Amino acid sequence: MNDSEITTAISRKGLGKQAWWVEQWMELINSYRYKKRLERAWIYAREGNVTSIRFEGRRIHARVQGTEKKPYKVKLWLDVLDDENWTYVIDALAKKAKWSAQLLAGVMPKDIEQAFATTGKRLFPFNLQEVKSECSCPDQANPCKHISAVYFLMGEQFKENPFLLFQLRGKGKNSLLSDLAQKRLSVSKESQAKTHVLNNTSMTKNNIIRSPEIWWSYKQNLDDDLVVITSSTEAKAGPLIAGEIPLASNPQFPASQNTFIKNLISYSETQGQKAMLSAMSINT
Amino acid sequence: MNLLHATWLTAFADLSDGPSTVLFLWADTWQVATPKEPKNSPCTHPYTLSTKELEIWLKKKNLFPKESQETSACLTLPSKFAIDEIINKDQKISKQETKWSTLPLIAGEALPKKYEWWPWKTEGLALAPWEASQWLKQLPLSQTDYDLSEEILWLTHLERWTLRLIANGLWLPQVKSSKEASKHHCARWVPLLNQENERQRLEEFVQTMPLAVMCGVPWRDPSMQSCNKIKTKSTKSIGPLNPIASSCVNKERNLVTNVLEEIVDAQLRKDFEEKSNNLDPLLSAWQKALGSADGFIELCDKDIQRLEEATKNWKKGFYSNLKDAKTCLQLIPPNDAENLWNLHFLLQAEANPANTISAKKVWEADAKGVIIGDIKVLDPSEILLEGLGRALNIFPAIERGLEDPTPHSMQLSPAEAFIFIKTATNQLRDNGIGVILPESLSSGFSSRLGLTINAELKEKFKGAIAGESLDWSWELMIGGIELTMKELEVLEKKNSPLVNHKGTWIELRPNDLKKVQQFSSNPPLLNLNEALTLTANQGNTLLKLPVHRFTSGPRLRNVLEQYHHQQSPEPLPNPKGFEGNLRPYQQRGLGWLAFLYSFHQGACLADDMGLGKTIQLLAFIQKLKNDGELIKPLLLIAPTSVITNWRREAKAFTPELSLLEHYGIQRASSVEQLSQSLKKIDICITSYSLAFRDKELFQDINWQGVVIDEAQAIKNPKAKQSVAIRDISQRLKQNPLRIALTGTPIENRISELWALMNFLNPKVLGEEDFFNQRYKLPIEQYGDISSLNDLKSLVSPFILRRLKTDKSIISDLPNKIELNEWVTLSEEQEHLYNKTVETSLKEIASSPLGQRHGKMLGLLTRLKQICNHPALILKESEITKDFLERSTKVQRLEQILEEVIEANDRALLFTQFTEWGYLLQSYLQKRWQAEIPFLHGGSSKIQRQQMIDRFQNDPRGPRLFLLSLKAGGLGLNLTRANHVFHIDRWWNPAVENQATDRAYRIGQTKSVIVHKFITTGSIEEKINQMILKKSQLSENIIDSGESWLSKLSVEELSKLVLLESHTETT
Repeated sequence: MNDSEITTAISRKGLGKQAWWVEQWMELINSYRYKKRLERAWIYAREGNVTSIRFEGRRIHARVQGTEKKPYKVKLWLDVLDDENWTYVIDALAKKAKWSAQLLAGVMPKDIEQAFATTGKRLFPFNLQEVKSECSCPDQANPCKHISAVYFLMGEQFKENPFLLFQLRGKGKNSLLSDLAQKRLSVSKESQAKTHVLNNTSMTKNNIIRSPEIWWSYKQNLDDDLVVITSSTEAKAGPLIAGEIPLASNPQFPASQNTFIKNLISYSETQGQKAMLSAMSINT
Repeated sequence: MNLLHATWLTAFADLSDGPSTVLFLWADTWQVATPKEPKNSPCTHPYTLSTKELEIWLKKKNLFPKESQETSACLTLPSKFAIDEIINKDQKISKQETKWSTLPLIAGEALPKKYEWWPWKTEGLALAPWEASQWLKQLPLSQTDYDLSEEILWLTHLERWTLRLIANGLWLPQVKSSKEASKHHCARWVPLLNQENERQRLEEFVQTMPLAVMCGVPWRDPSMQSCNKIKTKSTKSIGPLNPIASSCVNKERNLVTNVLEEIVDAQLRKDFEEKSNNLDPLLSAWQKALGSADGFIELCDKDIQRLEEATKNWKKGFYSNLKDAKTCLQLIPPNDAENLWNLHFLLQAEANPANTISAKKVWEADAKGVIIGDIKVLDPSEILLEGLGRALNIFPAIERGLEDPTPHSMQLSPAEAFIFIKTATNQLRDNGIGVILPESLSSGFSSRLGLTINAELKEKFKGAIAGESLDWSWELMIGGIELTMKELEVLEKKNSPLVNHKGTWIELRPNDLKKVQQFSSNPPLLNLNEALTLTANQGNTLLKLPVHRFTSGPRLRNVLEQYHHQQSPEPLPNPKGFEGNLRPYQQRGLGWLAFLYSFHQGACLADDMGLGKTIQLLAFIQKLKNDGELIKPLLLIAPTSVITNWRREAKAFTPELSLLEHYGIQRASSVEQLSQSLKKIDICITSYSLAFRDKELFQDINWQGVVIDEAQAIKNPKAKQSVAIRDISQRLKQNPLRIALTGTPIENRISELWALMNFLNPKVLGEEDFFNQRYKLPIEQYGDISSLNDLKSLVSPFILRRLKTDKSIISDLPNKIELNEWVTLSEEQEHLYNKTVETSLKEIASSPLGQRHGKMLGLLTRLKQICNHPALILKESEITKDFLERSTKVQRLEQILEEVIEANDRALLFTQFTEWGYLLQSYLQKRWQAEIPFLHGGSSKIQRQQMIDRFQNDPRGPRLFLLSLKAGGLGLNLTRANHVFHIDRWWNPAVENQATDRAYRIGQTKSVIVHKFITTGSIEEKINQMILKKSQLSENIIDSGESWLSKLSVEELSKLVLLESHTETT
């Protein structure tokens, strides 16, 4: 098994292409020189030897079942940015609307490192040595195969939550987004030469609707689209367009998500047919 | 009458182990109730049916849900509000105490000046979401059952929407964790409202939601220490005490999406099977829960959190949470000189897409947010950015425009703009992002290459014959601008999908040029008929090319506008020989009949009752006669009961027209005989039943035309008389006259329209099967509004219906219209009448003077009774099967009442005979399956007040009210009625007028129609004459009651009572 096969082995399990930040992580792992160790680690990961992964603050705690009876404890962490550095990063992130836009939409901007460059720091570790780790196993090598097994699964975790990297660097998702929002507000204050006063009158919802006439009355005819119920010719069913569930896949059940979604797609077809038939039957 | 309501209850905890969300069915019915004083717990709703009553009623209506539970709920309802101010004993004015009480308002009730939202405890039935969806499915989709409230209709429409969502697979399973430890985490099927049209539909449902759907608010028991002491409270003290229950419900998006979700979830959960094993534990637990009845997921909190987060993000990829505003991209085409397009970033109000603000304002917003139209958005920059982030996934070019911290627009190359229009726009709209394109490029009708037409009647146009061709020319038009064939060819050569023509950007489609070339090489002829259809509604095409504009010359426009009722018909003056005075709207009606006749089109005059359809028609026939167009006789078909009326009216208004009644035993029995008697005859009147029986006769006569009165008589297309009349109509030759008269709102009765139009203008609606498939089924089953509009635009040119309440009519109308309803006697009545007169006269002649007066009085009473119905004199107390046939008066009464009820009007019916009142009451109650009160001398004071209150106040109260002339003629206020019927006549007009004034008095807002029944030739007609002539006799009557009778000689008496045969009166 060569290194390229290892990456595709995981990505092939998904329905589509992996997000770039997941791929970048996998590349990081594959840059590791000791291929044999990596291969064993991969088997560990696939066979479910990693029994748990937890995030506690800025650290990852995992348990990996090794040769001993008791699982080994694995810890992973990255260098954390201090508050001052984060202020610089937030300032930099606020300079381009697209960064906030993508982060809010749950996408990691490809050029995010630019925002970190001002501080001389990085978001992604440049090489595996930057990922700090500890394992309770007797093996002297670092990373050992237990740590490497967790590395592999981290890729899946990044898929589940792109903000994980920020968390590891010392700032969680909510904190990051609220800092950015705060930043936008202060920017808007600065730019406001003319004070723009909002009239705050009568905007309460209660006042808008307080008329008893609408209590009982509904005079609408059935909407045109609801008269004859058909399914759209373009495939727009939810399970079809939603794609892969951003859920770290369990290496023991590699086909799990695929099966689940296929199931939903075929269910959407049978239910669609049924709904159309039901809409056609006329009750007199 | 009962009205069924449905309220969606959330957080419903009353049913142990039951669902927390249920559809709550309850019903109310108006009754007299005393206002309730507020207490510490909600009062019982005084108008609602108990669950037992509700069950019985629903079973009778065949609407009893299969699985439901009896329960009660607390509903917040607008309530009437009464305050009694009690001044303290020590008379200190400053220390006033107010005591107040309240009653719930019910649907349709007039709004009082003071109202309050107040909680009411209500009994009813609870249905779980799945049962609710099945129960709703069986209900009609349009308002056809008036026992069902309008909020139920709203729910049936919402339920139908879920079918559309499921048919298109617009759902996604989700996980909903519960923060409370006691509650379970649930797997849910969630509807996806990512597509723009579904989101708009949601806004419509939110806007139109009757709040009664959501008025179930749990009552919070006020935990006051001194609960027992304080029994009555002021509104001010109880409001803050129980803010939830006494505040009104808001219309909120969430409420609607929650109901939608419940229904979608219930339906998808039902059939879902756990198909695949070998799933990882998380997905496996989720899958199991998705198919289980309760949806509970068995997973630890940590796994639930992961799964919930993952499924949320899964949905988020193409779906933003519903907020008051969304990101919107507006494409602006370049100016002539440049070729770069502009894309503006906006924030758009979800409920009203016309309201937008620019990104610039969003960046300037402070913590108070921004205002878009009438809504306030607190986190505008987050909404805008999040939407831009998703837009970037779909249309990557946007990335370039987001390099600044606060961008508000960007430029696109022509190639990018084209991609944006052709592919990105739809995808963006499917992802909850608004897009505004230039009008000429939005994919609507106007962006298609089509025609503009200029047309005018030909110079030598004779009258206005529908098939005659017009002078016309055409131009091409696209996106609202004109272009010539040459210009089109030049543009086509540019070989670019987006081209700029005279400053407007348009999109040319591949086959456009070809289609136009085909059209121009062989342009069709355009006749008036086609012009009429092309202008009937928007979106018409001519040889597959859309017609964007139809411009007509002044003469053609005049015709079209009259035809489409856009312009009121030109009035015609009273024709010579017409002995009456047409009111202005009647002159317009006359003009309209003449207008349609000039096209040889059939016409249906459907004016409201009391507007004088008969005299408009008579005036029209007189006009035809004057113009020399009435060469052959007209056949007028009417119900038997109105034939007399026709004869009377014709004699009064058009004495020059000669009439023949084809009726009775002496009527012509062969074609020869009939043709013979039709010589020099203008109008031949016959009844519907004879039109069928003698149809062979009628078919062979060469009529000028056919007029049918009370045209609803042919509503059933399969009935023998309808078929016979359509046969007669189809055999008419040479541009015949076809007119139908009816007082019912014919255009709203889809199933009756076909038969009517087939009689008038058979080509308009085509064959019956086609009609049923194309219009009747969609409209009646689904309430399909676009089919209905199509149908209406097809038939409306041939129907003229004016209402008494129309502004243009109301000024012409007196406040009180008196109509004489002339009827004849049925055979049985006639026989009884003659026999009674004969025997009584003999008896009176031979009796001593002292007894005469009493006997005369008895005779008059008996005769009046016979005029009503034979059952009265025969002392029958039950309704016989042939009750209707035995009295012409009842037949006519029923016809008019049908129109009254159809028009949602209310009527008072007066009679002087209590026994008659009872008989009529039971007949009419059976006929309309409704309660009809009867107020008479024997009614107790309480009963009277209840009947009056109910008639005046109950929104769904009785439409008809029977009263005896003596008990009900004085003092009462019954202004809700705007029809008064005097079923039999009283000697003294003052007494009748007093009775009429129960409705015609202060407080009456409509014009009142008084119907006076008069049996031709009978004592009733004599009474009528006496009243009219104010003869000595009648004055005596007024002065001294009926004592004058004793002064009559037997000869005089016999003159009064002898039945005059109606042929003599002609």
